[in-house]
Amino acid sequence: MRIFENANFDFIQNRTRGYIFSGILILISIFGLVTRGLEVGIDFSGGMEFVIETDAPLNVTAVRTTLADVLGSDPEVKTFGEGAILVRTLAEGDINEMQARIIESINSAFPGVNPRVQKTDIVGPRFAEDLKEGAVFAVLGSLLVIFAYILIRFEWRFGLGAVVALFHDVFITLGLFALLHHLLPFSLQIDQTIIAALLTIVGYSLNDTVVVFDRIREYTNLFKTEAYPNIVNRSINNTLSRTLITSGTTLLVVITLFILGGEVLRGFAFALIVGIAIGTYSSIFVASPVVVELRLRADAQKAARR
Amino acid sequence: MQGNGLKIGLTLFFLVLSGYYLYPSVKAYVINQRLEAMTEEERAAYMEEHYDDIRQTQERALKLGLDLLGGMHVTLEVRVDELVRELATDTDATFDEVMEAARARSASGDVSFIQAFVQEFEARDPNARLSRYFRSDEAGINRRSTNEEVAAYLEQEANDAIDRAIEIIRQRVDRYGVTEPSIQKQGTRRIVVELPGIDDAERVRRLLRGTARLEFRLMADPAELTRVAQSIIEYYEAAADTAASDTSGAAGTGEADTAAADPLLAGADTSAGDAVLGDDPVGAGNPLLAVMQPLPYGPGVVFGQVLETDTAAVNRLLRNPEVQALIPDDIELMYTASPVGVDQNGREVYDILGVRSTAELTGEAIVEATVDFDQFTNQPQVSMTMDSEGARTWARVTGANVGKNIAIVLDGVVYSYPVVEGRIVGGRSRITGLDSREEAQDIVTVLESGALPAPVVIVEERTVGPSLGQASIRAGFWSVLVGLLLVALFMIWYYRTAGVVADLALLLNIVFILGILAAFGATLTLPGIAGIVLTIGMAVDANVLIFERIREEQGTGKTLKAAVEAGYAKALSAIVDANITTFFVGVILYSFGVGPIQGFAVTLMAGILCSMFTAIIVTRIIFDYMIIERRATVSYG
Repeated sequence: MRIFENANFDFIQNRTRGYIFSGILILISIFGLVTRGLEVGIDFSGGMEFVIETDAPLNVTAVRTTLADVLGSDPEVKTFGEGAILVRTLAEGDINEMQARIIESINSAFPGVNPRVQKTDIVGPRFAEDLKEGAVFAVLGSLLVIFAYILIRFEWRFGLGAVVALFHDVFITLGLFALLHHLLPFSLQIDQTIIAALLTIVGYSLNDTVVVFDRIREYTNLFKTEAYPNIVNRSINNTLSRTLITSGTTLLVVITLFILGGEVLRGFAFALIVGIAIGTYSSIFVASPVVVELRLRADAQKAARR
Repeated sequence: MQGNGLKIGLTLFFLVLSGYYLYPSVKAYVINQRLEAMTEEERAAYMEEHYDDIRQTQERALKLGLDLLGGMHVTLEVRVDELVRELATDTDATFDEVMEAARARSASGDVSFIQAFVQEFEARDPNARLSRYFRSDEAGINRRSTNEEVAAYLEQEANDAIDRAIEIIRQRVDRYGVTEPSIQKQGTRRIVVELPGIDDAERVRRLLRGTARLEFRLMADPAELTRVAQSIIEYYEAAADTAASDTSGAAGTGEADTAAADPLLAGADTSAGDAVLGDDPVGAGNPLLAVMQPLPYGPGVVFGQVLETDTAAVNRLLRNPEVQALIPDDIELMYTASPVGVDQNGREVYDILGVRSTAELTGEAIVEATVDFDQFTNQPQVSMTMDSEGARTWARVTGANVGKNIAIVLDGVVYSYPVVEGRIVGGRSRITGLDSREEAQDIVTVLESGALPAPVVIVEERTVGPSLGQASIRAGFWSVLVGLLLVALFMIWYYRTAGVVADLALLLNIVFILGILAAFGATLTLPGIAGIVLTIGMAVDANVLIFERIREEQGTGKTLKAAVEAGYAKALSAIVDANITTFFVGVILYSFGVGPIQGFAVTLMAGILCSMFTAIIVTRIIFDYMIIERRATVSYG
């Protein structure tokens, strides 16, 4: 079986189209982030989350109204998989008391559903600050290390191209999270697992990009007389088959994870699906074109100086 | 083929090693299956007989995270501010002010509480000495000690406090009876407690953070308490009148700003109609009377009666500084530990009692505590025996207060306040008014393991119920299986024979990953399983790179053997570059993440290492064998 065996697409020549497409995606993401914002999970905002399993499915709106009275602050209530609801509250107070109040009021409002707490996540405000700090360090640290590695292995233009692509991928993934939260039937809260997913996307996107860069480096030495854009274009085409197959198998497993991995991992798997799709796109349409742009500009300057 | 001797040897070595480390996990699984098939008695007998074997096997088996096993992960923080307050032998208004400022600063910034405390104190008066608050003969802290010495002393005490707290919590957990608990210090002020298979989270929370401060206190003088109650009611009466004339009774609360800021209070107020004292005409408009019935039994030691749902509102009203000023320093108001009854709607009612501020005797005097049952009511209770000094004090206190109440206070709530019938010699006492045998047992546990040196608070908790854990295991298992199958089929469809070889490498890869996890005693979490699933998709990447390259080389007219050689050689740099970056991400995630995220990072890193080995070395051995030894043609699709 062979796909894209002798691929010969004019990626570089038509790179403006890629820029336009990315531009639109980024504008949409900015729109999402500005108008809707990200939904921050309790890992970073602090609060209490209870997953309550019941014998009969409960009406989320009814539960919300019931709990609004007893919890004081307006709780967030969502379905959590089948036959369970997730109650999230920012109200501060004794954990045992909160839990008892929630169970009691569900019991009295919906007799016979036998509510049981299946999962609790409680994060104090100070602890949330610490987690946030850790996440920021993790993200900055990864970017720094990755950039340093690319700088050592490749010249700076590649490093910049790779980093531009990374920001592109993470930004659009976050933009989609902002745009879609509450519209999809699963949680799109930004919590620790999503940070892990974002960093994995960073690693993955880079993986794709590096393979293309590796080929560009090889061909630059091999075809010294050929114009730079052509070399890059040929590199992209010759690695296209690999790029798409690896993305394909990876997408295959993350979609499996999304469908079968259960409610807890759904947001995580969703981030990976989006990130891998965009990461694949960006290694072809963003990272390498940026390198070409930088190279062409340098050549033009050199020519001007002469 | 000679060059492959080492590679084959290495592969076999790793395979044997993985088998060695995974054997206990497989055995544990088989034992569990066997146990589940047995009846209750058979199981007990089997466990008895093979106890050591089972234990050893379980210890060496691949550990499952709490998110799969079900259980509780709790992070506790020692309240250093409370510790400092307790260490202070003498306090004044400045001390309280400094405490407040230090609390605010340490909550927002990176300074520790003690640093903030010292800095705030020095900022107020650079010449003043902290030693005026602290005294310790043991640590050599006296009036002439410098601020540095005092700060060092406080730091030392705080460090000791956390170590002692860990010890005490370990004892409590052991007495509670949890299999394989883990209790660890995190940073300087936090304790991480992991308890697999907990079914009663509420009870464990109480057990972990109970300071177990037992005190025997005299109670407020009834006449004085009555005067206090009247003055507080009058205060709110006056406030309600002004508020009513100001806002035509819209807010209906004494402090207009409190009412506006606090929905709880306003909510409680609107439900005045069905509060305990709702039918009292005097209560109309008085915010306190709306939620509390004062002196329900006439003059006595009971200050008021409150519905459980109104306690927050009452607390707020009583915490008002102007109200606090009306309460004498030697009286403290405390709730009863359990409800004293229910109202007509079945809601629980608690008493507020007037208790003396100083303790006559504390839990330190208790040498033994046991659970038993009241011979008449058969209610559970805790019987306590005191040491000789405690017994002497107890005899003196009871002898001097015949006919009066003595409150038995545990962690700030009154469990009972019996009337002293006569002088008690022999140092015996009991805690009654308990809800259940478990409660009595837990009180004994905390009393026997000792009081925590400072209060601890739960700053983070993650609890997963056993059935959700089971569901996660199933979901994870199916994800791995289906993901593996899909990728394997795809590889065979696309690369034919070479695809089969790559699939073989993939299977071996998973065995190696699990082997590494077991060997390093890493914990498999749900995100960890997700990491394995992700690795399955990414692991074939190295083979894809190699196979694509071989196809290209074949396209240039090379022989199969030469193409394979060139393919492996040329793909190597891309494989290494691509994998190293993802590996870095794994390292960083591991260093900054916690719990489940670390699990993900570990499988990700293990997956990358293993996939590089299997995809580069193992597949090469197989191809070399097929092409060179068997002179077979291998299809790369």
